[in-house]
Amino acid sequence: MEEFRILKFLDIFDGMFQKFGIDYDTMRKILKVKLTLDGRRTPTTMLNSSNKKKKDGNNLIKSLGLYILLGIVFIPFIVLGESYLFQMSFVFGVIMFMMTITLVSDFSTVLLDLKDKDIILSRPINSKTLNIAKMIHITIYMFYITIAFIGPGFIAGFIKHGLLFSMIFFIEIILMDLLIIVLTALLYLLILKFFDGEKLKDIINYFQIILTITITVGYQLLGRLFSFDELLNIEFTPKPWQYILPPIWFGGPFELILNGNVSNYILMFTALAVVMPIIAIIIYTKLIPIFEYNLQKLNDTSGHSKPRNKGLNFYLAKIVCRSKEERTFFRFATNMIKKERVFKLRVYPSLGFSMIFPFIFILTAIGSEGLGWLKGSKMFLSLYFVGIMVPNIIMNLGYSGNYKGAWIYKIAPVVDLLSIIKGAVKASLVNIILPLYVLISIVSMFVFGGEVFIHLIIIFISILLYITICSKILNDTLPFSEPFETANHGSGLAMIPLMLLLGLFALAHFIAMTIPYGILIYMVVLIIINLFTWKKVFEVNKKLVNNR
Amino acid sequence: MELSNQSVINIRNLEKSFGNKKVLKGIDLDVYPGQIIGYIGPNGVGKSTTVKIMLGLIGEYTGDVQVLGEDVSSGKVEYKRKIGYVPETADIYDNLTGREYLTFIGELHNIDYNEANEKAKSMMKLFGLKNVYDSRISSYSKGMKQKLLIISSLINDPEILFLDEPLSGIDANSVMVIKEVLEELKLQGKTVFYSSHIMEVVEKISNRIVLINDGQIVADGSFEELKGKSMEGSLEDIFNQLTGFNDHKEIAKEFVSIVQGANRYGGI
Repeated sequence: MEEFRILKFLDIFDGMFQKFGIDYDTMRKILKVKLTLDGRRTPTTMLNSSNKKKKDGNNLIKSLGLYILLGIVFIPFIVLGESYLFQMSFVFGVIMFMMTITLVSDFSTVLLDLKDKDIILSRPINSKTLNIAKMIHITIYMFYITIAFIGPGFIAGFIKHGLLFSMIFFIEIILMDLLIIVLTALLYLLILKFFDGEKLKDIINYFQIILTITITVGYQLLGRLFSFDELLNIEFTPKPWQYILPPIWFGGPFELILNGNVSNYILMFTALAVVMPIIAIIIYTKLIPIFEYNLQKLNDTSGHSKPRNKGLNFYLAKIVCRSKEERTFFRFATNMIKKERVFKLRVYPSLGFSMIFPFIFILTAIGSEGLGWLKGSKMFLSLYFVGIMVPNIIMNLGYSGNYKGAWIYKIAPVVDLLSIIKGAVKASLVNIILPLYVLISIVSMFVFGGEVFIHLIIIFISILLYITICSKILNDTLPFSEPFETANHGSGLAMIPLMLLLGLFALAHFIAMTIPYGILIYMVVLIIINLFTWKKVFEVNKKLVNNR
Repeated sequence: MELSNQSVINIRNLEKSFGNKKVLKGIDLDVYPGQIIGYIGPNGVGKSTTVKIMLGLIGEYTGDVQVLGEDVSSGKVEYKRKIGYVPETADIYDNLTGREYLTFIGELHNIDYNEANEKAKSMMKLFGLKNVYDSRISSYSKGMKQKLLIISSLINDPEILFLDEPLSGIDANSVMVIKEVLEELKLQGKTVFYSSHIMEVVEKISNRIVLINDGQIVADGSFEELKGKSMEGSLEDIFNQLTGFNDHKEIAKEFVSIVQGANRYGGI
C-alpha cells in the first residue's frame, strides 16, 4: 500500500482527534485501507475478455473536470460587486445544493456500509473511531470536489477581492462540507431510527432520486428565473426565517470582515456559520453508537410481502411478446427494473429530466411569444426530447448490482438468446417509456390542442425506432449481466450522436409537415422501418451474444 | 474438565427483539476456559444474533452479557483484544491482498506490522496459501477466503474464538488441520464458541453442546449427557427430536413427488 499525502496532512490534527476520544493511529490505518481500496475499485473479475482496461481512480479526475466547468457560472456572481452578503449567500446556496446531491448520490453507500461493522468493530476498535474514519474518508473526496467546483470562482475572487477574501472562502468551504456531511448523516440516523430494512433503503433511494431531479432541473431554471442585478440594489432587512438558511450564514463573515459591517444580524450569521458545524459534529459524535446499532437494520429482512401471482404484467407480456421465452424474460426484466435500486437511481433522474426538458423549451417560448401562440405552432416538436431517456435506459439494462446472477442465462436451456434482450427492451418500453409518454401526451394535448394527436403518434413511432437504434449501438451485453461499476466507460461518448439523432427525427418530421399528405406518408414509412428494425436489429446483437 | 472456575462468558436472561419479532427469549449461559461449545439450532433462531451481541455489534438488548469480565454494553472495547471472530457472511475487503488484509487486521489489534506479517505469512504457508499471499483476495476461491478468515481470527492469539460456520468450502485435509488446531487451543485453556449446521463436526469437536430453539436454550451438556437423557442416536437425531421435527420423511416424499410433477399435493 502506498502512502497518501492527504494522510500526512491529517497528521497535523492528531492531537485534536485524540481530544475527541478517537484513536488516531487506528483511524489512520483504516483510512489508508479505504483509500487503497478506492484506487482499486475497478473490478478485476474476469467479466469478459474484451478491451476494458483498468483505469484506477481515473473516474474522479474526469468528474472533477466537469465540476470545474460547471463552476465557471460562479465567476460573475463573485466578481460582480461587493454586496458580499447577497453574492456569497447565493454562491453558497448553489454550492451547498450541488454538494448535497453529490454526497447523497455518490457517498451514501460509504456512510451506510455494513461490511465495516463485521470486519472492524469485532476488533478492539470503538465505533467512534470507525465512524469518524468514514466521515473523513467522505470529507476528503467532498473537499476535492468542492475545490474543483469553486475553483474558477475562487481564482476570480482572489484576483478581484484579494487574499483575505480567499482565506475566508477557503475556511468556510471546509466548514460547509463538514456541515453538509454531518447533517446528511444525522438525517440518515433519523430515517434509520423510525424505519427498518427494506423500507429504509427505498426511502433513501427515492430521496436520492428526488434530490437529483431537483438539482438538474433547478440548475436549468436558475439562470432564467433570477434577475441578479435587481437583487443587488435591494436594501437588506433580516427576516427571522433567514436565520435558518445556512447559505446566508456563510455570507455573513465576508460582509463582516471585508465590508466592516457590524450590524447585529451580520454578527449573528457569522457566529452561526462558525458554531453550527462544530455543534453538529459534537451532536453527531454523541449519537454514533446509536447510528451504528441502527445501521444493523439495513440487513434485516422484514418479511411483509404480499403474495402476488400473475397480475397485469402477465397479460401485458402476452400482448407484446410473441414467443414464450420472450415473455418469460419480459416478466423477469419487469421485476428487475422495478426492484433493482441502483437501476432506479441511475435511470429515474433522467426520466424526470426528459419529461421536463421539452417544457422548458415551451416555457421559454411562452415567455417571448405568449400563450396563444402555442396552438397551431410547431413547438410540439420539442417533445422529441422525451427520447433523451432512451439511451440511458437501454444502456443501464445491461447492468445490475447482482450481476453475478447472470449465470442463469448460461445454464438455462434458452433456445433463442435474442429473446432475452428483446424481452428486456420491451419490458423497459412498456414499464417506463410508454406510461411516461402517455402522461406527457395528455399534457401536450391540453397545451397544443387535440389536433396534435397524429403528431404525438408519429413521435412515439419515431421513439420506437430510436429504441432499436440505441439497442444496436449501446446494448452489447445480456441484460443485468455486468456490474454498474464498469458502466459509463466510453458509452458516454456514444450518447452525444444519439441525442443529435433525435434532432434529425424532429427535422424529418418538420419536413414531412411541409409536404401535402407528407405526415401520413411519413407515418407509414416509419411503421415499415420499425417492422424491419424490430426484427433485424436484435439479430445483429445475437452475434455478439453468441461470441461470448 | 474446567481449568478455572472463572467464567469467560456470562449471559443472564438475554432478550432481544427486532421490531415486533422477539428473537432471543431469555438466554442464560456460562462458558468456562478450555471448552469448545457447539452452539447449534435451526435457521433463524438467533444463533448469530447471540454471537453478535457478545461482540458488541448489536445493542439494545435486555439482560446482562459479560465477556472476559467486561459488560459488553459498557461501550468499552478492550476485551475484544482477546477475541477472534469468523463471521458467517464472509465479508472481506477483497480488493486488498492477503498480506495487506491480514496485517491490517493485526494492526487493528495493536500488533506490530512486522510481527503480524511474519505470523500471517507462516500461517498462510501452513494452509498452502503461500503463493497467493500477495494476490488480491477477490481472486481467492471460497475455501481460500474461509482459511484467510480463520487466520485473521487467530492472528491476535485470542482467548475466545467465535466461529460461525467456519468450515464451509474448506477441503477435507484442511478441515482435519483446523479441527486439530481447535483441539490444541482447547488444551491451552482457550475457549471456542462454534456455530454450525454440520452436526457430524459439532458432535466430534465439541465437549459441550448448547442447542437453541425458538430463542431459548433447550439442551445444554456434553454429547454423552444429551444421549443419556433418554435421547439416542447421533447428534442429528437429538437435534431433530429437540426441535420437534420428525416428519422429514413425509416432507421428503412429497417434495420428490412435486419434483416429478405428480399431482399429489395432498401428500402420500
